[in-house]
Amino acid sequence: MPLAMAAGRLTARSDADLIQASQRGDLSAFEEIYAAHAGRMKSIAFHMLADRADAEDAVQEAFLKIYRAAGAIHFDTVLAPWIYRILLNCCYDTGRKRKRQAESPLAAEPPAIPNNVPLQLAIRHALGRIHPQYRMVFWLFEVEGFRHSEVAAILEIPEGTSKKWLFEAKRELKRLLTESRA
Amino acid sequence: MTFDCKDLERALAVPELLPDAREHAKVCDACRRELWLWGEMSTVAPGLREEWETPDLWPKIRQTLVAQQKAAKRHGLRGFLGGRLDWRMMAGIAAALAIAVAIFIVKYARPAPAPAAAQDSDFLTEQTLKEVENAEVAYRASIDKLSRLAQPKLSASENPVAISAREKLLVLDSEIDNVRSTVSRNRFNAQLQSELAGLYRDKQDTLKEILQRAQ
Repeated sequence: MPLAMAAGRLTARSDADLIQASQRGDLSAFEEIYAAHAGRMKSIAFHMLADRADAEDAVQEAFLKIYRAAGAIHFDTVLAPWIYRILLNCCYDTGRKRKRQAESPLAAEPPAIPNNVPLQLAIRHALGRIHPQYRMVFWLFEVEGFRHSEVAAILEIPEGTSKKWLFEAKRELKRLLTESRA
Repeated sequence: MTFDCKDLERALAVPELLPDAREHAKVCDACRRELWLWGEMSTVAPGLREEWETPDLWPKIRQTLVAQQKAAKRHGLRGFLGGRLDWRMMAGIAAALAIAVAIFIVKYARPAPAPAAAQDSDFLTEQTLKEVENAEVAYRASIDKLSRLAQPKLSASENPVAISAREKLLVLDSEIDNVRSTVSRNRFNAQLQSELAGLYRDKQDTLKEILQRAQ
């Protein structure tokens, strides 16, 4: 689901309006930002931390930071990539704090891909075995539904790099899945 | 163009070649399976999304924000701090309060010192400030050195961790500039000095981590 759709619930007030209202201490405006993004933020955090409680902690920390930092952002800043960048940083911090590998705990000890499992489960296993950068782009684009321009803004990489990493991710996954099913 | 199995990889990267690949797949089982897998990955991927209810999460966030707003209002600091009260500032404020209380006790709970002693006390404050400033210069020099070491590793990498570290350093540098500018107008403010030291420590830790990761 692209950001524009994710922000569909924000039609009454634009991102800039919501941030301005939040800066004035209007928590209902901030709750609208939460409602629009929290679901996807939890999913991303869970993907990175592999633990629901940790994911919730990271999302909570991210929203506290977003609120504190809202006063410093310019109104022409596109809100969503900025929010997700803060979330990724919180996930890295949480991962470090809890002595886990920052990108993904799955990468620490990649499990073998079992054969004869549904494709979705096999992909989940295989994701733990590919490069973290490729994995992150695959997750944001294919799982969370961000567009390449949005993935690029979140990860602060060129759009072409996002496309290239997605291709590399799928190529690696295809290789791993083909091997496991051979 | 005669499409061969070895052209499949290129066709997946170049969408214009996909019709040829599909045509070839009609007569090649292996390529048909790979093409199916390529498309199927995108089809099933959204199902990997993790969703669960967290009815307590927003109330927890809201409660924390309300508590912070109340604390800021109670101390009348919201305007002064621009609504950006974080734990470093809280720690700084706590340190400043402790120092103020200690000074109050020293000054009023003991017999009044002789004028010469008062001069000594002022002199010690100046001396302490000088020491703090000298330490800051040395600290900054060592952090600059760390920055120079970490910079090539940091700018060369597009790893999300490096990207995150770059962003964190930018935020820290900006905060350091802000606090230094405030400190320059109020050099004797222990809270600000403590906050500045905290920011330098954060920056130093971040740079060390980058170098450790690069090894």
